[in-house]
Amino acid sequence: MKRILLMGNPNVGKSVFFNRLTGVNVIASNYAGTTVDYTKGYMCLEGEDVELIDVPGTFSLEAKDKAEEVAVKMLDEYNDSVVICVLDASKLERGLYLALEIIEKCHPVVIALNMWDDTMVKNIEVDVAKLASILGVPTVPTVAITGEGLKELVSSIGDASSATIEAIIGRVS
Amino acid sequence: MEKKLTEMVFDEEGTVKEIAEDFRVQIAGMGIRKGKKVKVTTRQPMKGPIVIEIGSANTSVGYALADKVIVDVGD
Repeated sequence: MKRILLMGNPNVGKSVFFNRLTGVNVIASNYAGTTVDYTKGYMCLEGEDVELIDVPGTFSLEAKDKAEEVAVKMLDEYNDSVVICVLDASKLERGLYLALEIIEKCHPVVIALNMWDDTMVKNIEVDVAKLASILGVPTVPTVAITGEGLKELVSSIGDASSATIEAIIGRVS
Repeated sequence: MEKKLTEMVFDEEGTVKEIAEDFRVQIAGMGIRKGKKVKVTTRQPMKGPIVIEIGSANTSVGYALADKVIVDVGD
């Protein structure tokens, strides 16, 4: 069965995505570190059952606590799975650090720029098209709690592509 | 003037100047890097964690870690 991992910094909305996509109800709260162990669920993607895994939040792939260890282990174990990298669009820089680390591991990645509503309220402008073209992976602005952008995110899972750091560096300048 | 992050007071701002080698990778993912602007938002008593504002995000840093971060606070 195809596997999809939900990864991202702590407290960016991974569990909310998980609940929305699978219908399973896991606890999501406004605290970093709500998900300590992983949760599995199933969803239907293009007529095919796929397994979705809610991975605990991590700042980097250098594990420094138990929850992060789980996250790193999951990524290594399921090395052929698609990763939905959930980033808080208003704290983009911090999230991109992890996103790049995941891309470096050659996983096919889709990026969800979550909390898009909050980002607009805070007057932070993100050039989504440019970010997508630099990273070379599908990038979708989303609002997980209202479900905005969810459809686009799901339909872009099929286009998930792996990129190389060298190519990204080349495109930055 | 240079100060450790642990020596900074509430609301004080500065620029990260140096991070101890063995901690550098560990906190890079939290957005704490050389040259970044920081502001202390909360200081917990009894060597508790220090909450800093860095790159529009709030992050709490443990005392031991914060002790290894040197910040340039200007004059």
